[in-house]
Amino acid sequence: MEGEETYLELFLARCAAQDDLAPPRSPLLSPIVPYDVYVPNSSNPETTFNSQLEEVTETSGNFSSVDLSFLPDELTQENKEQTVIRSKHETEENGKTKSWQRRLPLPSQQDVDLALNSSGGSNSHSHLHPGDADSAQPSPEKPHSLPLASITPMTPVTPVSECSGIVPQLQNIVSTVNLACKLDLKKIALHAKNAEYNPKRFAAVIMRIREPRTTALIFSSGKMVCTGARSEELSRLAARKYARVVQKLGFPARFLDFKIQNMVGSCDVRFPIRLEGLVLTHQQFSSYEPELFPGLIYRMVKPRIVLLIFVSGKVVLTGAKERSEIYEAFENIYPILKGFKKT
Amino acid sequence: MPGGGRCPDCGSTELVEDSHYSQNQLVCSDCGCVVTEGVLTTTFTDEGNLREVTYSRSTGENEQVSRSQQRGLCRVRDLCRVLQLPPTFEDTAVAYYQQAYQHSGIRAARLQKKEVLVGCCVLITCRQRNWPLTMGTICTLLYADLDVFSGTYLQMVKLLGLDVPSLCLVDLVKTYCSSFKLFEASPSVPTKYVEDKEKMLSRTLQLVELADETWLVTGRHPLPVITAATFLAWQSLRPSDRLTCSLARFCKLASVDLPYPASSRLQELLAVLLRLAEQLAWLQVLKLDKRSVVAHVGDLLQHRHTLVRKAFRDGTAEPDALDAREKELQGPGQGQGWGKEDRGDGSVDLPAGKRPASPALLLPPCMLKPPKRICPTPPVSTVTGDENISDSEIEQYLRTPQEVRDFQRAQATRQAATSVPNPP
Repeated sequence: MEGEETYLELFLARCAAQDDLAPPRSPLLSPIVPYDVYVPNSSNPETTFNSQLEEVTETSGNFSSVDLSFLPDELTQENKEQTVIRSKHETEENGKTKSWQRRLPLPSQQDVDLALNSSGGSNSHSHLHPGDADSAQPSPEKPHSLPLASITPMTPVTPVSECSGIVPQLQNIVSTVNLACKLDLKKIALHAKNAEYNPKRFAAVIMRIREPRTTALIFSSGKMVCTGARSEELSRLAARKYARVVQKLGFPARFLDFKIQNMVGSCDVRFPIRLEGLVLTHQQFSSYEPELFPGLIYRMVKPRIVLLIFVSGKVVLTGAKERSEIYEAFENIYPILKGFKKT
Repeated sequence: MPGGGRCPDCGSTELVEDSHYSQNQLVCSDCGCVVTEGVLTTTFTDEGNLREVTYSRSTGENEQVSRSQQRGLCRVRDLCRVLQLPPTFEDTAVAYYQQAYQHSGIRAARLQKKEVLVGCCVLITCRQRNWPLTMGTICTLLYADLDVFSGTYLQMVKLLGLDVPSLCLVDLVKTYCSSFKLFEASPSVPTKYVEDKEKMLSRTLQLVELADETWLVTGRHPLPVITAATFLAWQSLRPSDRLTCSLARFCKLASVDLPYPASSRLQELLAVLLRLAEQLAWLQVLKLDKRSVVAHVGDLLQHRHTLVRKAFRDGTAEPDALDAREKELQGPGQGQGWGKEDRGDGSVDLPAGKRPASPALLLPPCMLKPPKRICPTPPVSTVTGDENISDSEIEQYLRTPQEVRDFQRAQATRQAATSVPNPP
C-alpha cells in the first residue's frame, strides 16, 4: 500500500530531524533507542527497529477496514511540517521525558475509539500518522511503538541508567461500554449463573467471568462497567464476553463506545523514601498526613495522575486513561524519589 | 425607567426610582402615584413586570449569614476557647470557616459535615501556626468519626487551595509529655515513679529523634511513637525501680490513653537500641536483651549519631560502594570489636560464629519483613481483544431451562417462608 510508505517517510523524517548527527538519508542504519526499555525482555535496538518495520507492514494491511473519512486530507501535510519544525526546536532536549511530554495531549474520542477498535495496529498507525499530532498523541506503550528519543549513530543518547529501568505493572483497568438496549435485570439474574442482583442494595446486576477474571456492573439502561482486567485488551475482551452473555440471554446487545476510564499501575523503586522531605520540597503537589494515611498522595499535573508513594518505596499510580500516562508519570517521579534516597 | 413600566393611574411611562426614608419606591413623575414600594431584594428583568424576585434567585443568600453558618462560627470560637488557643487563632479559624462556607459544596453539605468542618478550620489554623494539635484530639472533642473528619479535611484543603505544614513533632512531644501526670507524687503515683519533667522531656526528644532517623516515624501515626519514647525515657531514668512497670500500667498511672500501636513501636525502638548497643565495646560483653538495654539508654543516646552511622548501613548501598569516610569509621569500630572478641573469647561465651557482622540495613520495618508473597511479573500477553469468543465459553455461564425452573421454585419457597415469619 502506498500510504504506508508516506507514513514511514514521515516518521523517519521526524526522527532524523531530532537527530543532530545522523544524516537524514540513511535512517535505517541508525540505531534507534526504543521505548522497549519498558518491556523487560527487550534487547537489541536494531532487531526492535526491524520488528517495528515488520509491524508496520503487517498492520498496514489492517487499515483497509478502518474508516478514516473523519480525518481531513490536509491534516497530513500541514502537520508533517509542524512536527518537523517542532522537533527542530526540541533538539536540545533529548531526554526521553521531554519527548514524552511533547506527545502527551490526550487522544480525542474518535481516536480512542479508532485505537481501541484495532488495538495493536492502530497504535502504530496513529504514530505513523502525524496528522493526529495536534489532536491526538496516542500511547507508545507497545514494544513496537516508535520512539522519539534522540538518535546518534554512535551510542544511544538516553542510556538505560538515565531512565529508571523499572516498568510499572498495570493492576486494574476500568472501562465502560454501551450495550444500547434496555435490559431486564431480573431476567438476566435468573438466567445467568454468574450474576447477582440485589435491587435494594444496588440497582445493577453484578456479573463475573473467569477468563479474563473480571467483574461487570450491568445497568438496566444498557450501560456496563467492566473492572478487574490487567490490560486494555483483556478489558475489551472481557467486555465483549459480557456483551455476548447478554446477547445469548435474548437481548439485542451491541458494543458501542467502549472506553477505558481508569488505569491503575504499581511498581517498586526498591529503596526507602523520606516522605517528610518530599512533602516539604513538593508541597504544592503532595499531601502527606500520617495521621490519616501512611502514604504520600502526589497529584502530578502533567500527566494528570495521582501517585501514592509509600515509605517502602512502593508506588501506586492511578487516574490514567492511557498506559503511557502511567509510564510517563513514573519516569517523572523517579528522579524526584531518587533525590530522597540517602537518609 | 428601564423595563418599561406604566403607572396604573395615569398610564405614563415616566416612573422614577425614589427613596422615601431609605425605602425604595417607584413613583410616577406625572401623577405622583407610588407604583411599588418596599421591594427589598434586588430584582432582575422581572422588575419590568414589578414582580418580586424570590430570595433564592436574589443575591441575598450571599450577603446574609445563614443560621447554620452562624452556629458554625459560634462553634469555632467555642472550640478555640476550649483548646485554650491564643486569641489570634480564633479570628483566623473563623475566617477559614467563612471562606469554606462560600463554596456551594460545603453550604449544601449535611450537618454532620458542617460540624466536622469546625474542627478542620481549627486544625488548619493550628497547623499553620505550628501549634501541635492532633486530629485524634479534635475528633474526640467533636465526637466525630476520623473517616468523616479526614474526608472533610482533605476536601477543604483542596477546595481552599491551602498550604498546610506537617505536624511539628518536637512541639507535639513537648505538649504530650507535659500531659503525663508523673511530675509530682500523688496517691496513685508512688514517689519512685515521679520524674523530673525536664529530664524526661529531653530524653524523650532524643529518643524520638533516634526513631525518626531509623525510619520508625515515617508513614506512621506520630503519637504512639511518642508514647513509647516517653515510656522508655521514664523507665531508663530509674531502671531498677521501674523495669517492673508495663507500658499499659504506665499510661494508666499517668492518666493518658494508651494508643494501640505504642507497644509495637516500643519493641521496634528497643530493637534499634540493641543494634546500637552492639557497637559499643563495653556493652557488647554484657549480652543485652530488651529489658537490660533500658539501663544503658542514657549512654546510647549520648553517642547516638556515631552509633547509628556505625550500626547501620544505607539500605541500598553495596558493601563496596561505601565511601572512604564510612569505611574508616567502621574499620576501627569493627577492629575494636574483633579485638575484643579475640581477647575475651575464653571468658566471654559468645555464640559460635557470632561476629560483629556487616552492619544491618537501615530500612523501615515494613521493608525488613520478608515479603508475604512474591508477585511474579506477568508474561507479556499477546491478547488483542478481538479474539473469537466460543459459544461454549459463554454457555457455561447460562442456566439450562431445567435449572431456571428449579431456581424459580427455590426462590418461591423462600419467599413463602419469609413472608410467614411467625408460625401460629
